[in-house]
Amino acid sequence: MTAPAPAASGHPAFDGNGFDPARAEGAGLADTRRHLWTAIRLGWQVESNWTDPLLFFIYTVAKPVASLLLLVFMVQIVGGTGAAGEAIRTFVVLGSALWAMLMAGIAGPAWSVLDDRERYRMLKYLYVSPATFLLVLVGRGVSKLAVGAMGTIVALLFAVVVLGLRVDLAAVNWPMLALTLLLGLPPILALGVGLAAICLQTRQESWSYPEAFAGALFLVSGVVFPLSILPAPVQVIGLINPVTWWVAGVRGAILPSGSSSIGGAGSLWASVTRTLVPDGATTIAVLLLTGTVSTLAAIVLFRVSERRARERGLLDLTTGS
Amino acid sequence: MTADVTATLPPAISVAGLRRVYPVKPKPVTALDGIDLQVAPGEFFGLLGPNGAGKTTLIKILTTLLLPSAGEASIFGFDVATEAAKIRRIMNMVAGGEQSGYGILTVREQLWMFSQFYGLGSREGWRRVDELLDAVGLGDQRLQRVSTLSTGQRQKMNMARGLLNDPWILFLDEPTLGLDVSAARAVREMVLAWKGAVPGRTVLLTTHYMAEADELCERIAIVDHGKILAIGTPTELKRRVQRESVLRLEVNRLDGGPAVLARLPGVVSAALAADNVEAGTEAQRVAVNLVLRDDSALTGVMAALGEAGSRVLGLRTSEPTLEDVFVELVGRGFADEADAEAADEGADRDRAHPTEAAER
Repeated sequence: MTAPAPAASGHPAFDGNGFDPARAEGAGLADTRRHLWTAIRLGWQVESNWTDPLLFFIYTVAKPVASLLLLVFMVQIVGGTGAAGEAIRTFVVLGSALWAMLMAGIAGPAWSVLDDRERYRMLKYLYVSPATFLLVLVGRGVSKLAVGAMGTIVALLFAVVVLGLRVDLAAVNWPMLALTLLLGLPPILALGVGLAAICLQTRQESWSYPEAFAGALFLVSGVVFPLSILPAPVQVIGLINPVTWWVAGVRGAILPSGSSSIGGAGSLWASVTRTLVPDGATTIAVLLLTGTVSTLAAIVLFRVSERRARERGLLDLTTGS
Repeated sequence: MTADVTATLPPAISVAGLRRVYPVKPKPVTALDGIDLQVAPGEFFGLLGPNGAGKTTLIKILTTLLLPSAGEASIFGFDVATEAAKIRRIMNMVAGGEQSGYGILTVREQLWMFSQFYGLGSREGWRRVDELLDAVGLGDQRLQRVSTLSTGQRQKMNMARGLLNDPWILFLDEPTLGLDVSAARAVREMVLAWKGAVPGRTVLLTTHYMAEADELCERIAIVDHGKILAIGTPTELKRRVQRESVLRLEVNRLDGGPAVLARLPGVVSAALAADNVEAGTEAQRVAVNLVLRDDSALTGVMAALGEAGSRVLGLRTSEPTLEDVFVELVGRGFADEADAEAADEGADRDRAHPTEAAER
């Protein structure tokens, strides 16, 4: 592109490669990288700019820590303080801390659709820009995920320092942890994109959809209790859900000797596979499989939704108009 | 870039048999009803029509925000339905009458984000943003949060966003809607300066402000109820009514409205004047634009006013305006249209957002 130069009229005469037809083709991968990074940056700015850094930090950590404390106190009352109670408490603390990150990643793209369409009224301008809409939403989701991850880390530190959660750093399976975290990101964002696809079709009521969906997922993903206590049909939903395997993988990597949310006596997993709990390799493999399927499904769903929104004129639909 | 180069380009806009039907209950709304249109590269083209005429729907289709129900449309040869990505790299759009923007970002930050979406390098984006902010007169506000901008300043920022990628074609949808006189003038001057800086830059403007269309546009299409009623230069369009007598009549009252006069022999059209600000107040002064087949029809008009008890406060001939053209083509003025819309509140919103109407 040529550098802008003032024209005789005083207006910048920047001519962005003039009328060269090649300009309509774009710059391929370079554009993709730039669009994704810009969307992440935009998401971060939108997330973090609404208040001063201290308040932002407090807001980011207050919710996960409060949720964690709520669950810990409940476990304290129900499970007691013995060894069994300690195991349950550890199980719950880890799941609850991870949920802050999950929730942000899953709800992020959907909230971006609603925010940009309803509050900022910028969705149509983003949509008609050369940036791929899906990529923009993924970028916005990544920034929300990062904010959620801050909450997770702080909640874990809080659990270790204040609640006495015992994590033996020497025993942590670091490669497994890194791999699970990495493999979990696409399906978490994919679920968010799928939810965004639904919100694209809806109106103001959809502000509650992300939390409602995440709440339902919370129940069937083995976050704070094992799947084995659920009815078998619900366990099926849990087993085909990549979030279940992500939570189990991360939990298993941090606490290799801890209990699994997937298997156990009487669980559907145990009765089908005739193994009590899935080992690390199995967890990674199933996470990869369910993650790939859900990512592909989310892309298809989003494409269909985007097409339908364009057909029906939903992209600039605002509740107040 | 020279005009010779643009002469080899495909039409900036090519539209054939374009239809758009919104599936609204109880019956579908036809927003565009078989539009045919060609705009050459370098033209400043206007779509003039009342609210609900279909202007915004056409812009939405051309900017790839909405798909047509039938027909074809292309921008510089790229099909709006199948080559949207290419179109988005060479066009931009700015709409008026809305409070859009990431309020928590600074003006500079918001524009830079869009510069990145439009493919500019990071430093180049900052430089381009600063240049445009100076060009649109927002240099002093560059570090202000978007939420603190006035309506006029926000629209200037939107204009800067619309020019970030130096589009081949700029779509302006009622860009001066809701702006005060000086802000509206600033926006118009900005657009003219940008377009004039490089030959071949094309602008499609929708407006229901007659004077704005007259001032800016080289050609205008008058649109109503999803159809193009006439296309031409402002002069060509006004020539359509020059053979007739165009009068401005002011009376103290007009029972039954201008329709009473429109029915009289020799009256081509009668419509409330757009500047009819005193109508409806206690001190009545109703201004009506009359188009007569010839001056002899005036006798009948005066007689009818006398019988109706109306007192003539003023009468003068006037140069035909685009509103006269619209009245002759449609049989009513924009002011009449506004009255009809006020009586049927929500109808226009239903057309703009038919899915909401369907849900209601």
